[in-house]
Amino acid sequence: MKKIMIDPITRLEGHGKIAIFLNDDGGVANVYFQVPELRGFEKFSEGRPAEDMPQITQRICGVCPEAHHMASTKTLDALFHVEPTSAAKKLRELLYSAFYVTDHTTHFYILAAPDFVMGPDAPPAERNILGVIAKVGLELGGAVIRTRHENHWVIQTIGGRPIHPCFGLPGGVSKAINEEERAKIEEIAKSSVEFGKLSLKVFDDVVLKNKDYLDMVLSDTFTHRTYSMGLVDENNKVNFYDGKVRVVDPDGKEFCKYVPRDYLKHLAEHVEPWTYLKFPYLKNVGWKGFVDGKDSGVYRATPLSRLNAADGMTTPLAQEEYEKMYSTLGGKPVHYTLATHWARLIELLYAAERMVELVQDPEITSTDIRNIPTAKPDEGVGIVEAPRGTLTHHYITDERGIIKKCNLIVGTTNNYAAFYMSVKKAAEDLIKPGKEITEGLLNRIEMAWRPYDLCLACATHSLPGQLPLEVTIYDAQGNEIKKLSQGIS
Amino acid sequence: MKTLVLGLGNPILSDDGAGIRVAQEVGKQLDDPQITVAETSEAGLRLLDSIVGYDKVIIIDAIQTEKGQAGQIYRMGPEDFSLTKHFSSPHQINLATSLELGNTLNLAMPQKITIFAIEAKDITSFSEKCTPEVEQAIPEAVKMVLEELVS
Repeated sequence: MKKIMIDPITRLEGHGKIAIFLNDDGGVANVYFQVPELRGFEKFSEGRPAEDMPQITQRICGVCPEAHHMASTKTLDALFHVEPTSAAKKLRELLYSAFYVTDHTTHFYILAAPDFVMGPDAPPAERNILGVIAKVGLELGGAVIRTRHENHWVIQTIGGRPIHPCFGLPGGVSKAINEEERAKIEEIAKSSVEFGKLSLKVFDDVVLKNKDYLDMVLSDTFTHRTYSMGLVDENNKVNFYDGKVRVVDPDGKEFCKYVPRDYLKHLAEHVEPWTYLKFPYLKNVGWKGFVDGKDSGVYRATPLSRLNAADGMTTPLAQEEYEKMYSTLGGKPVHYTLATHWARLIELLYAAERMVELVQDPEITSTDIRNIPTAKPDEGVGIVEAPRGTLTHHYITDERGIIKKCNLIVGTTNNYAAFYMSVKKAAEDLIKPGKEITEGLLNRIEMAWRPYDLCLACATHSLPGQLPLEVTIYDAQGNEIKKLSQGIS
Repeated sequence: MKTLVLGLGNPILSDDGAGIRVAQEVGKQLDDPQITVAETSEAGLRLLDSIVGYDKVIIIDAIQTEKGQAGQIYRMGPEDFSLTKHFSSPHQINLATSLELGNTLNLAMPQKITIFAIEAKDITSFSEKCTPEVEQAIPEAVKMVLEELVS
């Protein structure tokens, strides 16, 4: 039997690649960003029954299958012209809120916290979740694992399957929950609220009370004045599951608000010759390049953008934290990219509070969970807020409901332009002629993009487990002088 | 002994689904209440959630190495991934860090974890079928997993 060690360049062609080119003086000349292209999803979908799409599309992304399942299910509602029952909508949102709790917990404790708890200059061997637990304590580590585990149980109980739910149907869901399950979910929801509060306290203690970190959050290196996008309810409050997409300009003024079926009236995609990526932008502002400001169609769709795009939260504790964040950071909107971590925790608390509201609703155990569609299917668009941005599904079918065309704007995609700008700006500000390029400096550049939690071509899960990302710095002659790899070495 | 056979991968992304295919075939040949056969497209912390509480875990996944030949099967242990454990991936944490985290938090971790990895050729094209090279390797991988279960 052959025994191998994982080769450091596993999946050579599968990397996300960031290339930073220096000029003769040692300053930054240019930055490029590439991700591999996954081929043929549209073709793969064509000819399949639309009802299969909630199962198929959730396989696109290994990080947020629940978001694709939900967007796809809502697209089927629109496609088959059927309104789900009230109980079905609540069950969907309850599952979706539990998913948000797990996803935001993972991001904060695994990705964000190590930079702040251990410090941006800590060696990579310590700058991880194990280091965080060693420093903050086993109790918190246990709470992270427990919260995730319990909320996965909620997803499984409502969704019918762990990880990949199978309950979404046009017009409703496939199963109700009973009183016993409801009571257990209520317990978990309440405990998740406590966990959300605890996480905000950790952020307060570790980041906000540390002047150096707060200065870093407020620094120009990590700031971009862009448009902000997010889903809002009828009162312009944050909603992950349903509503209209609202976009506010860099001054916080509403620029547009649209229903899902109108998305193509508002979004267009810019193409660059150096990457497969297409960069969505606001069509009615126009593409002016990778630049900030009101005249540039670049927008962001992140936890911070969602808070910027809304007038507040519908739950009391999250609203309190929302107000605290804006008063601390100088009012709305906030453009400090690192504040996205704070916004994410406010959303975590909101999701947990929303779970409590939904699970205490008398209708949540109703068995009236589906309206059977009777109209002929033709075309439908469905939108939810995925943790990483506004997620749009659009299907066109024949009259039998067979897919003829499918278009998706995945959450992460919305942020490609801003992501690129963040990396470029951090590299330009931090890499200076004559200054040694240290591990800590590279990590600070990494911190500029970490808040986006970019989901690259994350449909694959081959060992060692995740799609790697690599940053290479080249001198003016094109020689490689430094490489930073995450997930591949 | 409570055992989990876990196929990892994406069943609609060509060879990335090899691990799931093997697990499904293994499941058809087993009828033992002590053995659970499952599949997942997740990794990192969710993998940890899946394996807690089992005594023995067999994971089957696709892999791409620098010089590997498509269809080649490797038998590995978690120690083979130790080099990678301190690098955080764009989203989550890798297998080794997950396992270390489970041990640190005193979770009921498996006593033995074995990983079978099949060298993949194509993991970027959407298809429910594996490439012929990987397809041919599946029966052999199934045999290896079944042998591992009785070892």
